[in-house]
Amino acid sequence: MSPHGVLGARKRVLNVSLLETYKTGNFYDELMLPTGEPRPHSRALAEHLGTMPPAEFAQRARLAETLMVQQGITFNVYGAEGGVERAFPFDLVPRVLTSAEWETIEKGLTQRLVALNLFLKDIYHEQNILKDGVVPRPLVMGAAHFRREFLGADPPGGVYVHIGGTDLIRDETGAFLVLEDNLRTPSGVSYMLENRAILARVMPQLFQDMGVRPIADYTSHLLHNLRALAPEYRSSDPVVVVLTPGVYNSAYFEHSYLAQQLGIPLVEGRDLIVEENIVSMKTTHGLKRVDVIYRRVDDDFLDPLTFRSDSALGVAGLVNAYRAGNVALANSIGTGVADDKVIYAYVPQIIKYYLQEDAILPNVETFVAFDDKQRDYILANLDKLVVKAANESGGYGMLMGPQSSLSEREIFAERILENPRNYIAQPLIQLSRAPAFVEPGQFEGRHVDLRPFALCDRDLKVTIVPGGLTRVALKKGSYVVNSSQGGGSKDTWVLGKSTMSMSMEPGRMQLELDGKTMTLEGGRDA
Amino acid sequence: MLSREADACFWIGRYVERAEATARMLDVHYHAALEGVPGMLEWESVLAIADCSAAFHARHRQISDRNIISFFVFDTDNPGSILSSLTYARENARSIRDMVASEIWECLNQAYLDLKEWDIDRALAGTPHALFTKIKNDAHLFHGITYRTQLLNETRDWLRVGTFLERADQTTRLLDVKYHDLLPATRAGKPEIGGLGVGGPADIHGWIAILRSVSAFEMYRKTHRDGIHPAGVVDFLILNPIFPASVRYSIGQAEEALRRVSGTSATSPATCEPERLIGRLRGELNYAQAEEIILAGLHEYLQSVQKRVSEIGGSITKTYLSYQ
Repeated sequence: MSPHGVLGARKRVLNVSLLETYKTGNFYDELMLPTGEPRPHSRALAEHLGTMPPAEFAQRARLAETLMVQQGITFNVYGAEGGVERAFPFDLVPRVLTSAEWETIEKGLTQRLVALNLFLKDIYHEQNILKDGVVPRPLVMGAAHFRREFLGADPPGGVYVHIGGTDLIRDETGAFLVLEDNLRTPSGVSYMLENRAILARVMPQLFQDMGVRPIADYTSHLLHNLRALAPEYRSSDPVVVVLTPGVYNSAYFEHSYLAQQLGIPLVEGRDLIVEENIVSMKTTHGLKRVDVIYRRVDDDFLDPLTFRSDSALGVAGLVNAYRAGNVALANSIGTGVADDKVIYAYVPQIIKYYLQEDAILPNVETFVAFDDKQRDYILANLDKLVVKAANESGGYGMLMGPQSSLSEREIFAERILENPRNYIAQPLIQLSRAPAFVEPGQFEGRHVDLRPFALCDRDLKVTIVPGGLTRVALKKGSYVVNSSQGGGSKDTWVLGKSTMSMSMEPGRMQLELDGKTMTLEGGRDA
Repeated sequence: MLSREADACFWIGRYVERAEATARMLDVHYHAALEGVPGMLEWESVLAIADCSAAFHARHRQISDRNIISFFVFDTDNPGSILSSLTYARENARSIRDMVASEIWECLNQAYLDLKEWDIDRALAGTPHALFTKIKNDAHLFHGITYRTQLLNETRDWLRVGTFLERADQTTRLLDVKYHDLLPATRAGKPEIGGLGVGGPADIHGWIAILRSVSAFEMYRKTHRDGIHPAGVVDFLILNPIFPASVRYSIGQAEEALRRVSGTSATSPATCEPERLIGRLRGELNYAQAEEIILAGLHEYLQSVQKRVSEIGGSITKTYLSYQ
């Protein structure tokens, strides 16, 4: 857009703009071009942002925080007297994806989730992929979340992962890469839905002329899929429940939110009982049979008879009831082997093996310490690589090579040599950035990732609502987006297929269709 | 409905009612003391009735407005404090927020967050009445939102069972406080009227204060035109069939809610132990007389009602709320 365009004109009038002082730096910026102009599809958004005085923006940010505190969308800050509660940091500048970008993501994640489901079915049954040597057998058998106890069991439709959340990042060229898969109990979808609801309340004008696709049907798809998992002889009106570890779990808000939105009971382990392989919940009118459990309790704690015997969160006998086909679990048991960070390195081969296709969304280049040659490379380049433990999450157990000290690198070298199976390394990717509002009143670039939420039904049909959770590393310069490490989130907009907007000024009309601009000028200059 | 969820609802009802009753009790005594209303009790009696004299003295060397209000409003080590009650109500609401309308959770959440903004200095700097009024209004808002938004289902029934059982309990305690207050007068051999050692002109103010604390003064005037006297107050607060804080009304409402849970009517035979116990108490309240209660000993009567309310609570827990 020319400097004499709409944005330029408004800027001059107000003489103050959050975007004017914004610097994209040497990163791929989600909102702005390196020239300092907004990306064409985000022009309407940039215009609205550009006309908002910093003080007003700050006021709306506080309003959003108040709304979140009122609704109890908070987490506890431990160690503080009396348990201080904070709202999850929510940045009001939305992150925008074009319909073309979304199409690639949607196809890529669908392909990935189908392949990983086929992989899980295979390794818990025939193990052809191991026999063919595509994935080294010891890596699967030695994975912390491989469940021997579950070999040969048949989940409904042979599907293991019904709800997936894969983390994507964008590199400096703007290409999307898969950072990791979350196939056990991925969380964050409530924030995706609530961020949208809150942004629409505090900044309704931002949505004008943008054609943002709705995401509110996520819970309808989820409920439909869950109901379809019920044992066939129970399928007329199945009882579906959400199983939570309880109010002290950090994702409890999400569990109760989903139960409320789905209109189904939220149960804890102590509310359920298994008798003769039938799962029931304890109600004021006696026992009531349960058919499908959307469980947000990890495998380890699910059933003290099968897994950790000290678990008070689970239900004794649940695994046997599941094996007997009297109750369905989503996700199934043992899915953690497929989101293991070492198995991750083999996902492109896994896709090729089952689907005979190349991965649509590439992995980040990954070195596996299990392999002798790759381990040597890792150890020789610790100062350039990001090292990750196979089964840690939340940003823990990581070495950020370029920002590390010599002693930190020595500790990790020792750990890698001690247990090579447990480590991978990746080059540091210059994650894309997006503007985030920083007190007292300016935009600064912060690194972001993207977690879309994919649903897979019992026939392997994948549904992904157009959106996801954009996590943002709010600490200046940080690459770690996890909420436990000072991360926040943004609303994520996927634009509709055809976007059209129009702006008019004296003597000049401008039409924009799918990102292409057409300007009609009259005799006078604007 | 899950037993655990019913339990949470039952206790939300109880804790909100308890917070409100505590605020009312503090409000009336604080202001009566300020105005020097004769015949009002000492804080020591309030502590005795709330059964926390020892807990209070373990934390505070002397009785003062500041210490009493700190203890009853803000002290989280006192499980009966208003902050404790609102904390428990909120945590219970959080555990069933999927069961109730969002507004109900948000109301309890806000009440808790607001109270966290207060401390004893702020309460005493302005007028403590503002704080007590706010607590009362929060409780009213909770009841109003529930009335307006919650389905008339088991969730609401359990909220009501808790609310009214607690209200019956609190009203008997309030009257019992008055009884304690009168003990010294009785001991001193002052003239006895109505079998209670009551009745001097100064004492009238005490009864008025009691009525005011449950917003009953004006309503009392409408039903007892012969003036304020002990039998009248006992009749009104225990036996009135249509005053929302009376013991009889509260027990009747709790019984109706319990009967809705089992899908039976209060006129049909009891289907479980809680229905039997509460039905019998309601029946006795229906046909009791104030003079008779006073003659037999008000304190003994109130103690017996409190014991039976507590039995009903225990029986409800055993039958419905803790699945064995």
